[in-house]
Amino acid sequence: MAAAAGSGAPREEEGPGGDAAAPQPQAPTSVPGARLSRLPLARVKALVKADPDVTLAGQEAIFILARAAELFVETIAKDAYCCAQQGKRKTLQRRDLDNAIEAVDEFAFLEEAVLGIEPRTSGLLSMRSTI
Amino acid sequence: MAERPEDLNLPNAVITRIIKEALPDGVNISKEARSAISRAASVFVLYATSCANNFAMKGKRKTLNASDVLSAMEEMEFQRFITPLKEALEAYRREQKGKKEASEQKKKDKDKKTDSEEQDKSRDEDNDEDEERLEEEEQNEEEEVDN
Repeated sequence: MAAAAGSGAPREEEGPGGDAAAPQPQAPTSVPGARLSRLPLARVKALVKADPDVTLAGQEAIFILARAAELFVETIAKDAYCCAQQGKRKTLQRRDLDNAIEAVDEFAFLEEAVLGIEPRTSGLLSMRSTI
Repeated sequence: MAERPEDLNLPNAVITRIIKEALPDGVNISKEARSAISRAASVFVLYATSCANNFAMKGKRKTLNASDVLSAMEEMEFQRFITPLKEALEAYRREQKGKKEASEQKKKDKDKKTDSEEQDKSRDEDNDEDEERLEEEEQNEEEEVDN
């Protein structure tokens, strides 16, 4: 029963495959809109631990990072959509995303990792290009 | 299993769902675009972690906490995230508190149950002792009579 939603399960959900929807923590019923994170905290924690300079991260920090990543995905999707709309398309393409990254200052940190462009400022992070 | 940071992706299904909910109905997303967004989200987390860690080190702490992450958002020029993140944090803290209280209550109930069981047990023992005493007294009387 890999996908069993465990009641009383710990906050970390170990997902074996990337595509399986991990069981999500219950959203609070009292406050609509203040949803708790949909991203599995275990994956976020794995990313945080990948940083060699990080010793420990508190549970709240992991949660906020997960939530921030969600907000980021929403934001970049919407920005990319603006480009698609201009081209009168209803399907978001890779190039819409590239345009959004180049156009929006806050997304500059993505240029190296996603576009493979050398960063303008020297060594924000020692990340290799993923392309 | 040695994983490079770039290989740690967030689940595709969840990423797709978040994207679809952010966009109007009827809008689709190509596989390449979705995969690029997923990778961007991982990079975002890595970058935010690094920034947050700087704040933690400045405060001479070894553990990243929520305020370090919020400071990182400001540093990264994602101030617009700060308010919704604070709200989410409060909701999360309430939920954690609720869970903790619920489990403490369960434990209390369990202890109470064990206590009352022990009380019953000791009451039975007292009764037994009384009976034994009565028997002894009877025996003593008999002995006296013999003497």
